Amino acid sequence: MDIKKSIIFNLRWHRRIGLSVFVVMIFLAITGFALNHSPVLNLSKINLTSDWLLSWYGVAPQKTEGYPLADNWVYGTGTGELYFDNQPLGYCPPPLAAVAATEQMNLALCNGALLLLTKQGQLLETFSQVQGLPASSNRLVTLDQQVVIVSGTGAWEFDLDSLAIKALTDLSALEQASSIEPSPLPSAFGNKDSLEGISLETLIIDLHSGRFFGSAGVLFVDLVGLLICILSITGLRAWVNHQRLRKQ
Amino acid sequence: MHKLSFKALLLMGAVLITSLSSPIVSAKGVYQSGPDFITQVFAPQIAEPAVLWLSADIRQQAQNILGRKVAGLRVRYHRSGTKTAWILEEVGKEMPITIGVVIEQNKIEQVKILAYRESRGGEVRYPAYTQQYRGASLTEKQKLDQNIDGITGATLSVWAVNKVAALALYYHIQTERLN
Repeated sequence: MDIKKSIIFNLRWHRRIGLSVFVVMIFLAITGFALNHSPVLNLSKINLTSDWLLSWYGVAPQKTEGYPLADNWVYGTGTGELYFDNQPLGYCPPPLAAVAATEQMNLALCNGALLLLTKQGQLLETFSQVQGLPASSNRLVTLDQQVVIVSGTGAWEFDLDSLAIKALTDLSALEQASSIEPSPLPSAFGNKDSLEGISLETLIIDLHSGRFFGSAGVLFVDLVGLLICILSITGLRAWVNHQRLRKQ
Repeated sequence: MHKLSFKALLLMGAVLITSLSSPIVSAKGVYQSGPDFITQVFAPQIAEPAVLWLSADIRQQAQNILGRKVAGLRVRYHRSGTKTAWILEEVGKEMPITIGVVIEQNKIEQVKILAYRESRGGEVRYPAYTQQYRGASLTEKQKLDQNIDGITGATLSVWAVNKVAALALYYHIQTERLN
């Protein structure tokens, strides 16, 4: 290839690659500047408050609702901590879907886990989907002290002693069942999510690396990185070609 | 020439994407439900469900074995004769691994990974790895008395399985003592 053709070929690709990555390059530069000066900008101390951003990170916003028992409240935080009044009970995959109470114990149904609690609010044990909790369980009701787990596909009687479940054949019985409905949480219990959250710095790091968009985003940033390398090579080649042309 | 270069660029992109996607292949999944595991372990007999209440002593020892706090006042297991089966969870790196452990006469008969949720380290579910636990018992220092070969890239998952195996042995010994 003679030098003129080489220059045209090189510049054509330099232009194509430059045009395709310039928006992302500017974005990466801005997020990079922000991360470099994160301590000055206090980015790590600014927590995200947007509901959809938090839910993108799998942090369900804390409901301002809880489940009232006789003298206590059961409620969950967006980060999955279950509370009995102000006492943390352990991890309960959010969201907290339902709470039931029998004479023996209290139960809290979370996303894929059923927590068995004493009447005093101590965690007895956790019954998970692997152990037999029906998938997509979303409601707890009581029928004469018998706990029934309800999902989109059916209802099951739950034996509190053996943790065995038995399909409820007569679903019409659910009409007489009682359940605890969520109510506005008294302000005394405060917002337990305020201490831990997703910082703006985390968001910018994830945007900068592409992790915000999952593995596809990371691959995209990798590809952009590769194109930037090619861009610098074609730029260098343009300069070399220009020097060669001048000599000729 | 230009077409050839464009094809080469496309090929490079494809190679990059393929090479970067290969480690993302996930081992996540529920391999066997708890009730199925229990039925299979004790077949043709039917195991009775039972609970071990965690006294202060038992809880302290369990915390020493796991190196963290133990949640819950009791632990559920299944028993038939001298054989017990435990379904326990331990976090590998970020997500809990659900592990079934069968113990008879204070020795591990079987370890099985029932559910694995981490994106890496799923090799611990292979029988070639879990068979290493067969016949292991607990030393006085609450450690397994057999050496378990690790897996490169799955160190945290291996540690989690080791801890759960030791904990199940300890719980089994407590049930024998209390009986």
